Parts: sequence; C-alpha cells; structure tokens
Amino acid sequence: MNKQQAHTAQRILVQVALVVLSAIFLVPFLWLLTTALKPIKETMTVPIQWIPSKLMWGNFKDAVTAGHETVGYYPFLVYFRNTVVLCVLIVAGTVASNALVAYSFARLRWPGRDFAFSVTIATMMIPFPVLMVPTFALFRHLDWIGTYRPLWVPAWFGSAFSIFLLRQFFMTIPFELSEAAKIDGASEWRIFRSIVLPLSKAALAVVALFAFMGAWNDFLGPLIYLLDQKTFTLSLGLQFYQSQNGGTQWNLLMAASTIIIAPVIILFFFTQRLFIQGIAITGLKG
Amino acid sequence: MDRSAFTLPILTVAVLGTVYFSEFLTSPDKPDGKVHVKYWEKWTAFEFDAMKKVVDSFNKSQDKIQVDILSVSGIEDKTLMAISGGVPPDVVGLYGPNVTQYADNHAVIPLDDMCKAAGITRDQYIEAYWDIGVIRGKVYALPSTPATTALHYNKEMFQEVGLDPEKPPTTIQELDEAANKLTKKEANGHILRTGFLPSEPGWWNWAWGPFFGGKLYDDNGHITINSPENVRAYEWVQHFSKDYGGTALQTFKGGLGGFSSPQNAFMSNQCGMEIQGVWMYNFINMFKPTMKWAAAPFPSAGPGLENPTVVDMDVLCIPTGAKHPKEAFEFVKYVESQKGMELLCMGQKKITPLKNVSAGFIENHPNPFIKLFIKLAYSKNAVSTPKIGCWSQYNDEINNAFNAITLMQKTPQQALDEVKDRMQPIVDRYLEHLKARGEK
Amino acid sequence: MMSGGKREAKYGFLFASPWLLGFTIFMLYPLVASIYFSFCDYSVLKSPIYIGLDNYKALWGDEVFWIALKNTLMYSVIALPAGMATAIILAMLLNAKVKGMTVYRTIFFIPSLVPQVSLAVLWMFVLDGEHGILNPLLNKVLNIFHLSGPNWMTDPNWSKPALVLMSVWGVGNAMLIYLAGLQDVPAQLIEASELDGANGWQKTRHVTLPMISPVILFNGIMGIIGTLQVFTVPYIMFPNGQPVRSTYFYTEYLYDNAFRYHKMGYASAMGWIMFVMILGLTFVSVKMSEKHVHYQGS
Repeated sequence: MNKQQAHTAQRILVQVALVVLSAIFLVPFLWLLTTALKPIKETMTVPIQWIPSKLMWGNFKDAVTAGHETVGYYPFLVYFRNTVVLCVLIVAGTVASNALVAYSFARLRWPGRDFAFSVTIATMMIPFPVLMVPTFALFRHLDWIGTYRPLWVPAWFGSAFSIFLLRQFFMTIPFELSEAAKIDGASEWRIFRSIVLPLSKAALAVVALFAFMGAWNDFLGPLIYLLDQKTFTLSLGLQFYQSQNGGTQWNLLMAASTIIIAPVIILFFFTQRLFIQGIAITGLKG
Repeated sequence: MDRSAFTLPILTVAVLGTVYFSEFLTSPDKPDGKVHVKYWEKWTAFEFDAMKKVVDSFNKSQDKIQVDILSVSGIEDKTLMAISGGVPPDVVGLYGPNVTQYADNHAVIPLDDMCKAAGITRDQYIEAYWDIGVIRGKVYALPSTPATTALHYNKEMFQEVGLDPEKPPTTIQELDEAANKLTKKEANGHILRTGFLPSEPGWWNWAWGPFFGGKLYDDNGHITINSPENVRAYEWVQHFSKDYGGTALQTFKGGLGGFSSPQNAFMSNQCGMEIQGVWMYNFINMFKPTMKWAAAPFPSAGPGLENPTVVDMDVLCIPTGAKHPKEAFEFVKYVESQKGMELLCMGQKKITPLKNVSAGFIENHPNPFIKLFIKLAYSKNAVSTPKIGCWSQYNDEINNAFNAITLMQKTPQQALDEVKDRMQPIVDRYLEHLKARGEK
Repeated sequence: MMSGGKREAKYGFLFASPWLLGFTIFMLYPLVASIYFSFCDYSVLKSPIYIGLDNYKALWGDEVFWIALKNTLMYSVIALPAGMATAIILAMLLNAKVKGMTVYRTIFFIPSLVPQVSLAVLWMFVLDGEHGILNPLLNKVLNIFHLSGPNWMTDPNWSKPALVLMSVWGVGNAMLIYLAGLQDVPAQLIEASELDGANGWQKTRHVTLPMISPVILFNGIMGIIGTLQVFTVPYIMFPNGQPVRSTYFYTEYLYDNAFRYHKMGYASAMGWIMFVMILGLTFVSVKMSEKHVHYQGS
C-alpha cells in the first residue's frame, strides 16, 4: 500500500470512527426527546419502544405547568424565571469584578501583586466542601439564608478562574497603547474603559458564558441556601419534582429536562465561534 | 457624547433593577392586618389537600390569624436548615422519628404549658401516639396523622394459587408458605411476580427486628441491633433473596415502579403481599380500584409476638425562633380538636389518634379495614422508632445493612455487627456531648 | 500630584479590591474558621465547643468515612484517565481534516453543556435495568457472547462504572481545549517526523502528545480537583449512595454530616482533609510532570 492509499485508508477510518462515535453520543439525546414526547404508558414498555405512537407535545405544557392547582409543585416557569434572575446577577457580577481585578493583575503594578496572583491561582485548589460550613454560618449570621444573596453576592467579588483567564488575555494587549494614553493624560479608569475593554469583547464573552453555565447548572448552592419552594431554581425544581414519591412520570421528567437543557444549547449555537475563539485566545491551552 | 457613554449607566440600572426583583422574589408577603403563620408540610397531592381543607377551615373560622401552608420536600432536613439559618416556619409537620433529634438540638419548643392552657391532655389520645411526641418528659410534638401497618394481600392471587382468600397467614411460617405459592418464575429464573418482598415499600426496614421481639436501643445508651432476635429477623428477610435468586431479584426490583404510581409492586400484581399502612386503601382506589385485596394483622413471629404493627405518626411542632409561636399553637389546637382531627384524618383516609371518635367516623370511613387499623394501635406489640437524637444516622446505617442483606453481600450477623460497631461510638459521643452541654 | 508609580499602585489596589475583599471574606476566613470548627463540636444551632482532635480521631475510626474516601478515589482513578483519553482521542479525530468537522465537534460538545441535574435524571432513565435503552443496545452486541448488560442502577459492582460512563459522555469541553492545543502544534514538526518515517502511533507519542503536555497537565490537575468533589450526579441518581453505599462519595458524606446529622465540626474536619489531599495530589502531579511536560519555546 503506497503512501497515498495509506492516507486515504486512514481518512476513511477516521470518518467511520467519527460517525460511529457521534451516533453513540447522540443516543441519549434522542432518548430524551422521544421519551419527552411519549404518553406515559409507552415509557415503561418492555422491550423498549423508540418512536412514540403519537407526539404528545402537551407533555411540555404539562411539565411546565404541572401541579399548579394540585398544590405541591410550582410551575417550571417560576423556576425558570428565578434562574434567569439569578444568572443575570451572577454573570454581571462575574464580568464586572473579574475584568477589574484581572486588569489590575495584568497591567498595573503594585507591591505584592505577583505574590497575590500566585495565591489566587492556589485558591483554585480549594474545594468547595471545605468552605461550605463556615460560609453557611457566615450567611446565617447575616440573615441571608433563604434569599438569593448567598448565591450572587460572592460573584461580585471575583473568582480565581476568571481572573486567570482574563489576565492572560489582557497581557496580550500591547502595553504601548496604555503608555500612549497615559502620556495623553488619561486616567487608569479611562484606559481600562475606553482602550482595553473594547478590545476584550471576546474574552469577556467567554467569561460571561462560563459564568452563565455555572449559574444555570448550580445545584449544591441552591440546595443549601434556598428553602421556600417558590424561590427554587430549575436545578432544584427538577430534583424536587423527581424526588417526590409521586411515581416516576418519565415522560414529564424528560420534558422538563429538555426545557432546562434547551436554552443552554440554543445559546451555544449562537455563540459557538466566540466560545471556541475564546478558548484559543485566553491561552487555556498553554 | 458617544453611545458607549450610556452603556455603563444603563447596565447599572438594569443590574440594580434585577437585584430589586430578586429581593422581591424572596421577601415575605405584604402585611394585611392578620398574623401570617408559616406552615411547612411534607405532603403532596391529595394528602396535602386534606390538610389544606383544615387550614382553610381554620382561616375561615376567625380573622386574626392566617395560616399559609407550603409543601416542602426533604422536610426534616430543610426545616433543620431553616432553623439553623434563622428563618424557620412557625409550625412544621415532621415525622415522628425526627422529634428526638429536634428536641435534643433545641430546634423545637416544648409545648407543655400551651397544652395545659388549651386543655389538651394525654388521656384524650391513644397512648402509643401521644408518647411519640414526648421526649424526656416534655411534649415537643403533637399528633397530626397516625398510622399503623398491616399485611395487605391480593385476594385474587390467593384464589389463583389455591389459597383461601379469607384466611390470610397468621404466622411467619404460613406467610412463607403463601409467598412460595404466590411466586411465579420462568424457567430461566426470571421473576414474574413475588409472593412477598420485605423491601416493599422499604420504609420500615428497621421494624423487622422489633417484629421478631428484638429491640434497637435499650434506652440506656446501648445499640442492640445485633441481638439474636434481630439477627433472626434479618435472616428471615434474607431467605427471600435466597429463594428468589440474587441477580433475578435485582432485575425484578429494578423494574418496579415508585410507591405512588400504577407500577407500584402490589398494585401492578407483581407482589402478592406486602406490609403497608392505613393509607394504602386510598392509593389502591386511585391506581387500581378494581383490585380485590384485604388487610390483616401482620403474621406473628412467635408466641407473644402477635399483632405486630408499626406505630408511626406525623407530628406538628413549633420551631425555635418561630416568629409567631402563640398563633401557630392556635392553629395546632384547632387541628387537635375532634373536628379538625377528623377532617384531616378522614381526608387522608387514616385513623384518628384521638380516643373519642365521633359517631359515624368509623362507619362512614371508606377504608373497609379501618377497625383493624384502630385495633392494631392498641396492640402490645406496636413498635416505633427508638428515641435517640442520632436516629437519622442510625436509620441510614440500618437501611444500608438491609440493602447488603437483601443483596446477599453480607450475612445478617455480619451486617448487624457492623452497624453496632459503627453506631455505638457515635451514640456514645452523641450522649457525651449532650451531657457536656448540660442536658440529659 | 502623586508620582506615576504611587498612582498606579493606588489604582492597582483599587481595581483588585473586589477580589482582595472577596478572597478574605469568602476564602480566607472560611478556611481558617473551618480549621477551628474541625476541632469543635458544632451545629450552628449551638455554639462551638472545643473538643481537640476528637473529630479527627473519630474520622480515623469511622468506617463510612473510609468507604466514602475509597469510593471517591476509585471513581477518580478510573474516570479521570478515561475522560482524558477519550477527550484526546476525540480531539485527534477532529483534528484530522475531514468533512463535517464542525458538526461532529458540536455533537461531541453539547453533552457537556447539559446541567448536572438533567444529566442525572436523563441517565437514570437511560441506565434503567428494565426500561432503559443502554442495555437493549448493548445486548445486541453482548448477546453474541452470551453476555448481557448489567443492572447499572442496582448492582453495586456496576454503579460506579455507570457514573464513569456518564462522565465520559461529558468530555466535550475538555475535548475542545485539547483540540485548540493540537491546532497549535507546529505543522513543521509533524512533517519533519513524517519525513523521518514515523508512523501514526510514533508521531502521536513523540510529537503530538509532548507538544500538548501542558494542556494535559492543566486539565489533569483541574480534573483531580473536580472529580474528588463530585456531588450532584450521584446525589440525585443514587440517593444515600445506594446500592450498598457503592456510590457514596466524599462530598455527600460531608454534606450529610453537616446538614443532616448536624455535625458541622465533623464535616469541617472532612473538608480540611480533602483540601490537604488535593494540595498533595497537585504537588505530586506537578513534580511528576516536570520530566514530561514540554513548554513550547523551551
């Protein structure tokens, strides 16, 4: 087999592998969607039935408004709204605070800066469980349990990972630009706002994206701090729905899950390029 | 002025607006002249509705207090968190077994004085139930809905295999024989239906020992989970796994539905007999009204062990730090009255914990076996959970051992010895710490 | 007018202040408080009482602690390499310039976006012994060998593998990072090795992997930190770590101790032990990698 043939063979192999693997990766999603659309009886058939006999689009409506009258559950729309509110606050805080802090680490000189940065990196190794109890006690002291504050206020104080990401990026912006502006008499704030920030849209978007995903996804935080059901987020709401003794309504459960997954996937489709670009720019790989 | 000069102020306003909104979402409701009593309950669906009717009736009966009832899942944990978080409800519906832990932790307040003032006394109740709420001589919880358990069996299945549907088993040996006859397996070992599954519904895994005459705790600091009677009980539990076949049983169990669903093992004819409570009638009515079933006292494991039953109870407590304890108690008093109690218990199709039953309650009760359940509440072999504060952990350990036993991973003696070895130091330390704080 | 240096320093602190504050309040204070609590009997409802090393001694003799630790380590030891290998292999496949790469990339990436709770709920159904789809599909192949899919949810030997399977399904984001790293490998190096007669495997081993070794290290460390803390998925799929505590992981036991048994001192001790473990493992990884990690430009 000559080089050319070997190459082609290799490419075919790769194509085949990709197709097979994609199919495998897609199966759970297909199962999710088909189950969401089935009438309840068909979810428990043996052997399993792939295609629903009729498409119960109503399942989505049921999942979203389930039990509104038969008290016990709040509609998923309520959880959806709560989660969105929380996400807005968390994303805003993450972007705002981390941009400032990373800028300071990247482009301003101050005594102890590099030591502080090493400590910052080190904090990425602190697991949440070790902070869980005292943080709870702290919020208890402030009377914040049961509110959203423990979930979004810390986001306004920076986080190691985002600082790391943004710092890497900010360091790639030529320092000459800042120097020139300083000579023209611009304040640090002006330089930050009018020169560096506009050039950093992609990096900031990546930070925002990660922050959104983290917030949308968060379970342990709401589990500990949210008590009143009407304040639950989607994660907590779904788990509450699933853990009730009221029998496993798989089709509704899958419908509800789809509703939670969908916005994230839609968001991804719109920001794909940004995302991938962002990972490259911020030098995560190196 | 370029456009971008506006972005920051606009964003700031947007964020502030969102903050305000988020506060609004989690803030208490606006004042309307009434005292709002926050009431957290564990129930959902029709059981929740039953209590809601009582709440509505109370709210209508006067205009000073409004009780706001909320269904909370994982209530025993959430409430403790709320209490330690400083934001407890004013009244909470816990499970009987939780009371000791709450009392030990000062998480709920003693109700003796309020009971005395309201004329609520022990002799108005079936003793077994009243006592569940009494810890170290003080009343920390009052009964809401009581329960007893009995053997529920499928009459049609009995007939099908040649058993007399009017003569349910009265001893454990008879139960075993009946289970054998009722079990159906395919040639390759695949289980089609089981006669009896000790893991259904799996809510009282701790009770098997006491049913066989064993004790879980000697009230003197000693864990007695591995006593001979208890071991004998779990050996009996394990023999079902042995008879059905380990892997086959696992597969079979994996396909069973949840309790409140049409795939419930008993209601879907996959299990011929099971231990269940007084509410079961209602669920059968909902999911399989055509089923021909009956309830009987659970078979006895030996002389002196007749009519064993689990006596359990849902309770009402007032958390420490509640903002409106007096008003909360007004509501509790209403629930404890004959009128309130019967409204609630009839709504949930259970028996009432009060001795005085109004005319017609029993006669009009839809559960055909209601008299049996009431009689069982007076049984001298009624068992309830031991009163130790670390019951939560002890129960987890017992459940874990039960799991290992039914999966045939350990012998009952091994599994129970392990539970004892693990729990004894925990209990010792727990009691030490209590003493160090001046309790006990 | 302040000197340029002083002015810059002032702004430096000002801009960094959110983090300096945040670090102190939300990291430093809890870390220190946590150590203090670990030496106390504490339950938030009651004030802490100093009890010395009691909690640590108790942990040493606590069988459940060791089970939780063992489970967590067993899970990490398998999930981490499995995940990394899968991510790297997928990245390499995507790196080969074949048609439809963006579609494949999307398909592999999307599962990693699924929120943990939905993931748990979805896979509970996928893995279900009687009604799920995994076994029927597997059995099409396994039945040829007279084998059949195991009871993922109820067999203690297969519950952890079930979790590993799920985590592999979600390697999409790691894959993207490796892909970015791969695309950075200078083409000349690959061509040079080809000219030297290297075949696919040799190219991978001696050129590609070393070139992306910093990425591997970074992901590896983040992976260790992540898998040791796993909580949400097992908590939802396998309540109480059933069957037989096979999926009872460290964080869940910590959570149970803190918020269900109200032994917050005990939980704090567990937290600190986890932190020390992570520090140790990270340090070891970095030391071990010094020989193998090549940074571009060195």
